[in-house]
Amino acid sequence: MADHHVVIDQLVKTYPGAPKPSVDSVSFSLPRGEMLALLGPSGCGKTTILRMIAGLVDPTSGAIRIDGRDVSSIPVHKRNMGMIFQAYALFPHMTVAENISFGLEMRKVGRSEREERVLKALDLVKLTGLGGRKVSQLSGGQQQRAAIARSLVIEPELLLLDEPLSNLDAKLRDEMRDEIRDIQARTGVTAIFVTHDQDEALSMADRLAVMSAGRLEQIGTPREIFDRPQTQFVASFIGAGTFFKGKVVEPGLAMVEGLKPLRFTSHARLGSTVQLLIRPHRLVLATDAGQPNSFTGTVEHVVYRGQTLTLQVRCGDRLLQADLPTHAGVLPEKQSEVTLSVAAEDVTLVGEEAP
Amino acid sequence: MADKNFLPRLSWAILITLLYLFLLAPIIIVFIISFDTRQYLAFPPESLSFGSYVKVFHNAKFVSAFWRSLAIGAVVGFVAVSAGMLLSLSLVRYRFRGRGAVNFLILAPFLVPHIVLAVGIMLVIAPIGLLDSYPGIVLAHLGITIPYTVRTITMSLTAVDARVEEAARVHGASPLMVFWRITLPLVRPGLVAGGVIAFLISFDEATISLFIVSVKASTLPTEIYHYLEHSTDPQIAALSVILILISVVVVIGVERLIGLRKAL
Amino acid sequence: MSAAPATGSPRSGGNSRALLLMLLLPGLAALMVTFLLPLIWLLRASFASDTTSAFGGGDVTLESYRAVLFDPFYWQVAWNTLVLGFNVAVPAVVLSYPIALFLTRTTSRFRGVLTALAVAPLLTSSVVRTYGWMVILGDRGVINSGLQALSLTGGPIRLSNNSLGATVALVEILMPYAILAMLSGFGRLNLQLEEAAAMLGANRLKVFTRIILPLSLPGVLTAALLVFVLAISSFVTPRLMGGGRVFVLGTEVFNEATVTLNWPLAAALSVMLLVLFSSIILLYQRALSALET
Repeated sequence: MADHHVVIDQLVKTYPGAPKPSVDSVSFSLPRGEMLALLGPSGCGKTTILRMIAGLVDPTSGAIRIDGRDVSSIPVHKRNMGMIFQAYALFPHMTVAENISFGLEMRKVGRSEREERVLKALDLVKLTGLGGRKVSQLSGGQQQRAAIARSLVIEPELLLLDEPLSNLDAKLRDEMRDEIRDIQARTGVTAIFVTHDQDEALSMADRLAVMSAGRLEQIGTPREIFDRPQTQFVASFIGAGTFFKGKVVEPGLAMVEGLKPLRFTSHARLGSTVQLLIRPHRLVLATDAGQPNSFTGTVEHVVYRGQTLTLQVRCGDRLLQADLPTHAGVLPEKQSEVTLSVAAEDVTLVGEEAP
Repeated sequence: MADKNFLPRLSWAILITLLYLFLLAPIIIVFIISFDTRQYLAFPPESLSFGSYVKVFHNAKFVSAFWRSLAIGAVVGFVAVSAGMLLSLSLVRYRFRGRGAVNFLILAPFLVPHIVLAVGIMLVIAPIGLLDSYPGIVLAHLGITIPYTVRTITMSLTAVDARVEEAARVHGASPLMVFWRITLPLVRPGLVAGGVIAFLISFDEATISLFIVSVKASTLPTEIYHYLEHSTDPQIAALSVILILISVVVVIGVERLIGLRKAL
Repeated sequence: MSAAPATGSPRSGGNSRALLLMLLLPGLAALMVTFLLPLIWLLRASFASDTTSAFGGGDVTLESYRAVLFDPFYWQVAWNTLVLGFNVAVPAVVLSYPIALFLTRTTSRFRGVLTALAVAPLLTSSVVRTYGWMVILGDRGVINSGLQALSLTGGPIRLSNNSLGATVALVEILMPYAILAMLSGFGRLNLQLEEAAAMLGANRLKVFTRIILPLSLPGVLTAALLVFVLAISSFVTPRLMGGGRVFVLGTEVFNEATVTLNWPLAAALSVMLLVLFSSIILLYQRALSALET
């Protein structure tokens, strides 16, 4: 922890009059140069954390340490943060260059150095030659780039991004996603971004912090979060899947009501009640209805999605979701009977209650 | 279809045109009369000239009243905008106990007849010797102009995106800097619109002024009023045209800045 | 006074409160001196016995009110004032209604200009516009010259220096207020409602009486009230157009305040005007809420 660049320690924010804290004792840390995504549904407290780090909101308790120093008492304009706002919040009465130059002026950087650094920043975000434009003359993507340049030109301690892609249309979003990732990697700035979009978080961040109702649910790499969700909230918020409740009857085997017993590889105590998750893309078509971890049922819905075929299969009173690759030979049709199976290592344990 | 609707449409158009004519009649007539050369009021003019305008420019009473009105209006505009800016800031940016009362106090002068206010102001400033003085008339005009400046500035201020100010703070601007470099430039249309409206109200105001000033601090509308009690010659028309032109400039300015309907 | 900024956060509560106080003080002081104090002074002066001093002279007395209430002249003046208000409000609203309706419904690209043209007279001095009406309605004015040129009348008809002239001029001068009030009150009118009614089988007259009129009624009422209260408190126009022959509360207040210099009487008349003014606004609010329920 000590060598971490940014440390968030037991951060709490309770707004006056609110029955529950908006941010409830959240701790996490980032090494230098990491990009962390704060992911969660709206109202989960992720934006409040970002605003507390920026200094726009005062924490009720807890500490925000940068290089070991608590910055909680430093006023917002002296914290040296860069921030990209959801709607960019560019200064509408200034040109692009004036916007970018603003932070440098506030830091009393000399005129010639300012001009030089603004030009460099424009190059960095591929807005070369557009410094003289008015903000209103820029497209959405260009405004986004200008906002990035404005934040990075001051060489901030930390780059904060508040739902940075939510104002862009789908195609531009993919483009800017790669662009932001690329710029962050090149400049090596430590970054925290807030999003409610799991695709965005999974594809951009080094690590994800998933939040719910003010609390941190799980923090880890995209792969850890997706494949090894530790709570049912994380499992259901990120990616689709079917949950099964079962009782562990022998190591790695759980009895599930109305279905055949499920094999899994994680460790769970005998006799405990477990929550198991099967991701749709882990299910495959099977020929032998007798093999372990297989489900036989009737196809109720078929949705063709190009690369995958999404099936809803009824097995007894359970509805299973399966994503099959469309190149997998003969595809099942609606109302037909299919058998699906899953490997034991693809059955994820997300919760365990002691007997 | 078009034929069936033609007659009703035509009569509707004629009606609207006539109503507009009625509404603008005094201004149009004053404009025509102002080019008459005769010493007395009559219509239509026999021959047209700028004689009345020349006379106005040589009328020392009118000329000095004009400059006084201009100066009073400018001071009223400036003070009303300054006070209005501060009041708007507190009303838009703060939630405090008594906010409703402050809001009511600002709007209340709209609810009291000017003539009643005029008598009251006269009673307040007479004992302290401010009747017929510049401070007296400026004070008298502040109460009726501040509501307008608060309205236009509040409008501009509410339109300023709080995130833009936050962006400035995060990127290193102190609170004072944020105000100076971000907030103030962004509310400038509201400030200017409020200022010119306040100026114009003061410049054109007759009711309250007639109670407050007589000789030393007389304004142009009060001079015209007293002149009209005795004579209605075309000089006044020429003077009126000048006043109307000033109004037109202001109207166009306000319309461009924030839209006339919202400002009034 | 407790203070909390609506956005952002204060570094310290004390600082923010001091700042708020600094923001409020100049404006509130100005409004105090030019609005609140005058009303209090007015009230006090109306009970003063000493008619020669401005304020607080002599004992507290009801003399001024008694002088007003027991003098049939002032009853006549009050009656004249209400009649003038009514005679101005009705035509002003009737004449403004088509213009407001037109401006609400038009899709012309000149709509902005036409709106500005309709409300801009508000920003020209009422003295100037009163003068315009003196020119139009005077003995040798536009109308009388026209009539005589056409040999329709032998001599001039009395159109000014009486209450007719004052009424006509006030109608025109106050029309922009009525238009403005109606424009804000006509928000609920829209072309789609009319089209829907027409498609359901309503003819033009039915569309007007069943859709447009009911929806625009609140705006019309507000306009009528505004014009009425402005008319009963006017004095420049009645005075100039009336040529000293029109006696309304406004002209009498001015007379007592600046000519007779009986300030307690002027104050008492003002208070009565204010009471009249407020009770009409209150009545209107009652009427409006009754209309809405």
